[in-house]
This record gives sequence, C-alpha cells and structure tokens, in this order.
Amino acid sequence: MDAATHLLGGFAAALSLSNLGYALAGCVLGTLIGVLPGLGPAAGTAILIPLTFNLDPTGAIIMLCAIYYGAMYGGTITSVLINVPGEAASVITCIDGHEMAKQGRGGVALGVAAIGSFIGGSIAALLLTLMALPIARAALQFGPPEFFALMLLGLSLVTGLAGRSLLAALMMTVLGLAIAMIGIDPVRGAPRFAFGLPELYDGVEFVSVVMGLFGVSEVLLTLERPYREVIRTELRKLLPDRVEWRAALNAIWRGTGLGFLLGLIPGIGAIIPTFLSYILERRLAKRPERFGKGAIEGVAGPETANNAYANSAMIPLLTLGIPSSPTIAVLMGAFIVNGLTPGPFLFQERPDLVWAVIASFFIGNLILLVLNLPLVGLWARLLYIPSHYLCVGVLLFCIVGAYSLKQSTFDIWLMLGFGIAGYLLRKIDFPLAPLILGLILGPIMEKSLRTSLEISAGSYLIFIERPLCLGLLIVTLLVLASAAFNLAPREVREVELN
Amino acid sequence: MRRAGQIASLCFVALFAATAALATNYAFFDALGPGPGFFPLLLGLAGVLLAAAVFVERRRQPAGEAALLPERRLWPVLLCPLAGLAFVALALEPIGFRLTLLLALPTLLLLLGARHPVAIGLSAIVGSLGVFHVFYYWLKVPLPFGAALGW
Repeated sequence: MDAATHLLGGFAAALSLSNLGYALAGCVLGTLIGVLPGLGPAAGTAILIPLTFNLDPTGAIIMLCAIYYGAMYGGTITSVLINVPGEAASVITCIDGHEMAKQGRGGVALGVAAIGSFIGGSIAALLLTLMALPIARAALQFGPPEFFALMLLGLSLVTGLAGRSLLAALMMTVLGLAIAMIGIDPVRGAPRFAFGLPELYDGVEFVSVVMGLFGVSEVLLTLERPYREVIRTELRKLLPDRVEWRAALNAIWRGTGLGFLLGLIPGIGAIIPTFLSYILERRLAKRPERFGKGAIEGVAGPETANNAYANSAMIPLLTLGIPSSPTIAVLMGAFIVNGLTPGPFLFQERPDLVWAVIASFFIGNLILLVLNLPLVGLWARLLYIPSHYLCVGVLLFCIVGAYSLKQSTFDIWLMLGFGIAGYLLRKIDFPLAPLILGLILGPIMEKSLRTSLEISAGSYLIFIERPLCLGLLIVTLLVLASAAFNLAPREVREVELN
Repeated sequence: MRRAGQIASLCFVALFAATAALATNYAFFDALGPGPGFFPLLLGLAGVLLAAAVFVERRRQPAGEAALLPERRLWPVLLCPLAGLAFVALALEPIGFRLTLLLALPTLLLLLGARHPVAIGLSAIVGSLGVFHVFYYWLKVPLPFGAALGW
C-alpha cells in the first residue's frame, strides 16, 4: 500500500512533460547506442552524461536510466541483422536471431524481442516497486561495519565472475580502489596523492576514466576490426504466427523470472541470465535440434531475461548502493555527479526522485515498445553508417564530456591516458569492470572501514562480533572461494570464456 | 600475449609498491583512529601481492598466438584518434571549441578513410558549430569560446 502510494506520486512526477521528454530522449539515444556496434551501454551511458549536466537531478537520472535500458534493447538489432552483438548481453541472440534474419524472418525476431523486453521489463519494474521499500528499510539498520562488508561482498561478486582469471580481476579491483584514493581524504579532508596538481584535489574524475577505458579504447578496437555485412531481411512482418507466438510466450515468462532473480544478485552481469535462459529453453524444447537454426524461443527467452535483468539490477543499486555491473556503476557515478548517493538513505532523503525514477521504468518500457516496433527499419538503416563517422562521433562526445565536467583540458589528457591503458588492458585480458566498480565504491568503502574502526577504537573484532557483518563476510569468502576453485556452473564458465 | 601479460603484471607490482611507499607519507593510525594512509597502504600491499601472483599465473599460461600490437599497417589508423585527442586538449582553450573541432573533425575523418566531401564538410559543421550551439546555448554546458580569438 505504502509502495503503491509512493509509486502514484512517482507517476505524477514522471508523467510531467519535461520528464516524459527526458525518458523519450533517453530511450532513443539508448537504442541508438545499442544499435551501433562497438559502443556498449557503459561507454554509451558515460559519454551521454554531459547531456544531463544542467538538468534537474530527477530528469537527469530518468534520462540516464532510459539510456541504459534503451541500450540493452538496441543491441538486439545488430545481433539479428549483422550477427554482431551491440552489447554483450545480446551475444546469445546472434545464434537464432541471425538465423531467423537469414530465413527472411528478421522482423519477427526483432518484434518478439521487443514484446518480450516490454513484458520482462514491466514485470521486473513491478516487482522492484514491491521489494524496494522493505529492502531499503532493512538496510537502514546497517551500521558502517555492515556497509563495509556489503561493499566487499558486492566487489567480490563482480570480481568473482569477471574474466578468466580471479587474480587479475582482484588486482584490477584493487587498482580501481587505489585510483579512488587520489584527492581529498573523505574522513579528514586533507589532499592525498595529488602530486601538487590542483586538478587532482577533487580526485580522478570517474567520467573521464570511464570514457577513456570504454569509449576511447572501444574506438581503437573498432578501427582495428571492421564491421560485417548487414543482412537484408523482411522487416515489415513483425508479429509471429499463432504457433510461434505460443512457444515465444512460454519462453517470455520463463525469461522474466530468470532475469529478475539473477538481477538481484550483484555481479552476475547481463550475459549470464541470457545464456541460462537460452540453455533452459533448449533443454525444455520438444525439438532441441531447432536451436541454432532459427528457433523463436532462442530469441524470446534471452531477450526477455536481458530486460528483466536490466530492471531488477536497479534494486541493489537503489536500495543498497551496490552497482551490479559496469553500466550500473556508471549510473551510480551519475547519481553522485548529481549530488545523490544511491542506497537506503536516498529513500528517506529524496523519495520524490526515487519513485519518479521507478515510475519512469514503466513508462520507459512502454516507450521502447512503441518506439522499436514501428521504427525497426529506421534503426536497421543506422547499421550502414561507416565506422569512421561513428568513431569520430564517439570521440566528439568524449571530448565534450571530459572537458565540461570541470572545464579543464586536464580531464581530456586523463581520458586519453586511460583510453590507451584500456586498449592495452583489454588486449591482455585484464578485466575493466572490477576497476570501474572499485573506483566508484572506493571512497564509500574507505569511509565505512575507517568509521567502523573509529567506533571500535581500532579493534578489528567489530567485523566479527556483529552477526550480520560476520554473515556478509562469510558469504564474501565463499564467493571468492567458489570463483577460485571454479565452482560456477559449467555453462556459466563457458560463457565467461567465450 | 603471455609475455605482455607478464610485463604488465610487473608494471603493476611497481605501481602498487609506489602506492604503498607514498602512503607511508600519511598517518597510518592516530588518536582519532585510522589515518589517511591506512587504506592506501593496505591497498598498496594487497596490490603488490596480487600483481606478483598474476605474474606467476601468466608465466604458467601457454603462449598464445594473438599479438598485443596490431599489424604495422594499422598503426597510423590507431594513432590518428590519439593524436586528434592530444590536438584538441592543446588547442581547445586557446582557439575555442568551434575552431578546434572545425579543424580536427575533417582532418580525422580524412585520415580514417572518409572520402565523401559533402559528408565530411557536414560532419565538421554539425560536430563543431552544431554541437557547440546545442551544448552551450540549449543544455547550458560550458564549452570554451577561445581566449586567443575571442570567438
């Protein structure tokens, strides 16, 4: 009841003309990011942050969230039409989606993906509404030790599932945390590791780092490997026939459940729900040999799971302040840029904003459906843009974003440095996601750790004496141990490796 | 690629060791509790151990075929965006956003392989004058006019 009242208030705010405009603009830009191969949702969301610098915080967050889930849908179009995923979560859609396109059923593949995304996203947003308040209220009981343990758990979940090497992922997490130490000490207020450069007193700007690591490095990688051929396929018929529809609908329900549940666990990432959904559909199918040859369930299930995941992954962010993936970490950074700290206190301090943003998820899902079904042909045409124009466009937005944050060219140099580092690190298989999460969570984590030790007069027993904190630390150790001994399911490991 | 991974992990050992050494310049613990050097020192030490472990792990890996650097013919293509960014960083404040991008965008497009003069010209105008107008006047995002030219 409480949630319903808050949600109604949220709808009142989200349905204002300006916020509707921001949601629409975010969905269009997000889909565009998803459609353009090589520009993932993390980089895309980061390079579009400057657009929101002078918006009111509610409008800014609504727009950036819309960019996020727009990008999650947009990746489907490239998966189906050119067999290249616009973002990592759409990898699995390439298998049957592209086969459908080759058979002249590309429109049906994109149509069922849009409908599945709408159903999955809307149901996940509804469940988010019901669960957000109880989780946030429970989290209000947390003290600094519990928050520190929670951050540690969030980082270990992301680290444990990132890349092929746990050690490399842990090292990158520590690197992110170390970079976050540059600037003003969050407890005493004195500058650290600034090397006398006034530009570093405010710390390393996360927007410049993300743009460098994901945007500039992506440009370099795109220039290294050209696009593939776009399949010309039937895009007028978007709805499946009755038999296909029945098969797709069952896959959509299952994908919704799977995506929603996995989105609640920080660190799972968007690839695993889609991959598990595909495996589930193949195992449940009466004729599994159809998979890989254009089975509609192979598109409907994973695409639904993808959008259900995208919406439910907002629950750990909004209620606990834990980002589940690099893109959500970028969104968390955008909250911080706007003077907001995601977590349980946000529900107390800015309920108007939180509920407007949650309401905007429903509106955004509807906008995406309306936008994507009739405009599929238009989005498909964007795939013909030559890569050099795309790369120059990305660089242009990176320049605007890096400069306008502090009106300093220092941040452009910083972005350039991180761009080169990101390109080399990706080539030698050092994962970047843990670095970003460490960078975002570093100041909060340090503050929680130091405040805990101040409360306990320097005794580390504070982390063991409090049952909840101890429980979180034990789970953290279990997560790291399972990652170290490769205890993740075989399918999950395979998708990580491939 | 194995060798590149080893070299990178050794660089990280040095980087984390330097972090730990610099952290000793700040108080580790004082009367109020953990000082500004507390967390960075822990991170530096943990980083050294992890980077050393990554080095050992990479040594045990079989040597892969993939190369760290791309084929030599691709070097100019990859250097263009980096040089472009460096030029923008140097020129942005002296000559302003519009003129810098008006020079940088078409040059970059030509170097990256664009050949259609109308498309290049339009991209340059939209990317410099258009983007400036949208960001500066509509979105109120401050971009430099150019101290030297006042434009």
